Amino acid sequence: MSALIFELKDTPGQRLDLSPLVPERLAGLSRKDIEALPIGTTRETLTVGDAFKVKGKDAENIHFVGTDDRCDKIGASLAGGAIFVDGDAGASLGAQMKSGKIGVTGSAGVLAGASMAGGEITIRRDVRAQACGVAFGETMGMKGGFVTIGGDTGPLLGERMRRGLVVVGGRAGDYAGGRMIAGTLVLKRGAGRYAGYGNRRGSLVFLEKPKDILPTFSDCGVMEFDYLRLLEEWLHAQDIRIRLGARARRLMGDMAVLGKGEMLILA
Amino acid sequence: MPELKVKGITIIETFAEAFPMVGTRIIITAPTMEWALISARTMTGFATSVIACGAEAGIERTLTRKETPDGRPGVAVLLFTMNADKLQTQLRNRVGQCVLTSPGSACFAGLEGEKSLKLGSSLRFFGDGWQMSKVLGGKRYWRIPVMDGEFVCEDKTGMTKKAVGGGNLLVLGKTHKSVLAACTRAVKAMAALPDVITPFPGGIVRSGSKVGSKYKGQIASTNDAYCPSLKGAVKTELPLNVEAVLEIVIDGLTADAISKAMYAGIHAIAKGGAREGVTHITAGNYGGNLGPHHFHLKEIVG
Repeated sequence: MSALIFELKDTPGQRLDLSPLVPERLAGLSRKDIEALPIGTTRETLTVGDAFKVKGKDAENIHFVGTDDRCDKIGASLAGGAIFVDGDAGASLGAQMKSGKIGVTGSAGVLAGASMAGGEITIRRDVRAQACGVAFGETMGMKGGFVTIGGDTGPLLGERMRRGLVVVGGRAGDYAGGRMIAGTLVLKRGAGRYAGYGNRRGSLVFLEKPKDILPTFSDCGVMEFDYLRLLEEWLHAQDIRIRLGARARRLMGDMAVLGKGEMLILA
Repeated sequence: MPELKVKGITIIETFAEAFPMVGTRIIITAPTMEWALISARTMTGFATSVIACGAEAGIERTLTRKETPDGRPGVAVLLFTMNADKLQTQLRNRVGQCVLTSPGSACFAGLEGEKSLKLGSSLRFFGDGWQMSKVLGGKRYWRIPVMDGEFVCEDKTGMTKKAVGGGNLLVLGKTHKSVLAACTRAVKAMAALPDVITPFPGGIVRSGSKVGSKYKGQIASTNDAYCPSLKGAVKTELPLNVEAVLEIVIDGLTADAISKAMYAGIHAIAKGGAREGVTHITAGNYGGNLGPHHFHLKEIVG
């Protein structure tokens, strides 16, 4: 069965709420039913049919084509199935998702993967603020799952993150891992200022030595970590090319809070 | 009925009687294969028989860097007991005392079972609050700070209730040398097979036992029917010219794995032919009423 495709007709006059367009909600609906779903966010009603050309059938495999940064909540609360975005995504991409896969060829807006509990998100380019952070109405950030970001991130990556793994190919913004409870951030090109601010038990793995390190992270020296080998092997199994080795400098912190978190800076 | 012979060695028409057990597999890795083996041998030491060791354990096989979760050399270990509670206790004690303590080691699950056993889940407390939990692909791992860095240990491992213990072969021969040589070959052949271990020293047991004794409190005693020195005094199972008998005991995760190991063992023993000095291959049983698994030698050879 061919994928269910939503092709954006032209730039919409308002932000779109695409949270209804997930496999769980579309299963069993006819094309006519799908086209009648409201996705507008202003007083002016807007349906799927107004904004998108709908093709294909398989609701377990959804494609968005030509979307831009006003297409919000793609794959929000996703609970299985796959969504592929050929274009950019707006705010709250995959927010609160539980399982399934989301792939984006472009960039994503704020709150990508916010408070997600499981599943996988792959974003080829950049994300804006609070990726894997705290979704509206939630008290914790990402609670599980796996996110890869090819480009740079905005500030507060993984804010109040509880569990899960985020790999950033580019540079993370300020306050990466801010107030992190636990979980892991792997940062290939370092981060801005105040990385790990308020970190309790989370791990920040730096492939490059970061420029600014908070004074509340205390140095434990360099040693071998079998965990890094395990992480590298697991990432390779996910087709992610990364070289971690085993030797790293460990800094524990943020000592201003619990202090059981760490920065592992590859040596 | 004509006697069944393989290369001149008589295969007695009998069966090995085996028992259901619970079993698990773990993977031990280390900086070098030497140290992975040291850790595994220590963990599986004093684990020949559940009668007094609490568990039966052995090294299943070595693992290359490509086969282990952390890309280091590793060893797969199998551990068996009679029930899940005992298996849990044995696993915790053995990994805690022999793997956690071994330089540079790490320990991972080796079985996806219908039920799970605690691994790092109980050992993590050694970390005294400094342990860290990491979840990768739905599996939890514990990082426990130790003096040479960190002990990485998976939270849980799988358990199977379909394991079988006590598959066996008895090898009779005209000289001790020939029987030992044949059994050594057989153990080597079985070591190459998956899902089985031979828990006794070097895979071989020389003191086969019968149930009970003339002494009160002695639950097992020497299998006099197979003792060559008692041939003239007891109801012996041995021809007069047999000088030595050795037994290979096999534990496996499945009954099928034991059948295959017995097949490989019999053919490895027979490789030397009757000329080597081995005269008979038989198997131990208790009449068939105690254990539900019967491995008939005739069917296995056929």
